[in-house]
Amino acid sequence: MDTFFKQRYKEYGGDCKPVNLRKAIRVNTLKISSQHLQRRLEKRGVILQKIPFVKDGFYVVKTKHSLVSIPEYLLGLFYIQDAASQVPAEILHPKDDVVLDACAAPGGKTSQLATEAKAVIATDIDKERFKKLSYNLERLGIKNCIAYNIDVCTVQKSFPFILLDAPCSGNYMLEKGWFQKNSIQRINERAVIQKQLLSHLIAILEKNGVLVYSTCSLEPEEDECNIQYALDNLPVRLEPMDMIGDPGLKSASGIDFDKTMRYCKRFWPSKTQTIGFFVARLRKC
Amino acid sequence: MLTEFVKRFTDHQIEYVEVHEQYFLKDTSLEHYLLPQQVTLIGLYLGKQQGKQFIPSFNLLEVLSEYSKEKIFVNDLGEIDFLYGKHLRKRHLADIRGALEPGRFKLVQNRYDENIGYGIYIGEHTDSVKILHHVLDRGIFIKRDKQLKK
Repeated sequence: MDTFFKQRYKEYGGDCKPVNLRKAIRVNTLKISSQHLQRRLEKRGVILQKIPFVKDGFYVVKTKHSLVSIPEYLLGLFYIQDAASQVPAEILHPKDDVVLDACAAPGGKTSQLATEAKAVIATDIDKERFKKLSYNLERLGIKNCIAYNIDVCTVQKSFPFILLDAPCSGNYMLEKGWFQKNSIQRINERAVIQKQLLSHLIAILEKNGVLVYSTCSLEPEEDECNIQYALDNLPVRLEPMDMIGDPGLKSASGIDFDKTMRYCKRFWPSKTQTIGFFVARLRKC
Repeated sequence: MLTEFVKRFTDHQIEYVEVHEQYFLKDTSLEHYLLPQQVTLIGLYLGKQQGKQFIPSFNLLEVLSEYSKEKIFVNDLGEIDFLYGKHLRKRHLADIRGALEPGRFKLVQNRYDENIGYGIYIGEHTDSVKILHHVLDRGIFIKRDKQLKK
């Protein structure tokens, strides 16, 4: 399996070279400004550098201490979040509106959405992960979130903005031995669930509403293939976004994708120094 | 129970809603967005009832620190030590406000007037004796993270 994945990454324009991930945080602007936090962390020996493609994100260049033990973390002034995973909420941009965060735990993107949305409706089916969500919302002092420990497919209310950060197989940067643990069968099983989620959420997306689909998977079955399924079967179109990353693939697994697939973004760890990531912005027609 | 806890710090009334023995700050603007399903969290979490005990959230302590005079300000050493679960001693203190009665609940604030927890005031004595008995601090988030990772 190892060779299978690595081989096809090469075909898709990526690779799986070992990369030093750049540790990143996102400032909780509900509590503090970026400048203020930067100054405070500097005094504790934490040096930050702005991430150019997200609004409130910083790379951690140097730190003397474990980030989770410093008072500013415990006070909820920032959230430790990979640069790529700050992208979906950034491009959804639900300014002063209501947003559904469909698979919300552990709450990084939920709390990011809360900084600009009027209200965030968060759902997550997993009980243990839901606990993480509630702890993070408490630590970050989030006031405008309503959360449900339920399957989002039971939600019938419609929304103008939806974030689907779909449960996925992950990628080799997130998990040791990823190549050994995964198979194409496992990935296809995930893809079935992702399509179900996507279909339901597009059904409850308001006309002209926006859904951002993201995964931390580099496998086309969980990324472009799902988006192609949506383009073929659901009333949506892809929208371009001003963001770093490679364009979505032109073809994979014997399927030629729609020309607009280039609007999607792929984050290859060796190119972006982030985790592997995929993001697409869909608008309901 | 929440009301009794609040009264230890201020006469200010805090309106809340209760969901499964958990308390949230009342916010009528959020009610409009409720789904028919059973809600788990709604807005700012204020604390929970555990048996006969009320466990405040740090959001509630933060809200209280806007209204209450019952505060102890700590220096940088005091902040770190308190977040490690230590009682406060004279060397930790920058300022004490409110009533100086032993047994009083006091909010513990850092140099930026941010709440890091609370404790019970004992009194000013020599450096070897604690002045505030530690009850709850934000370091609990580290413990929670560790528990969830297991």
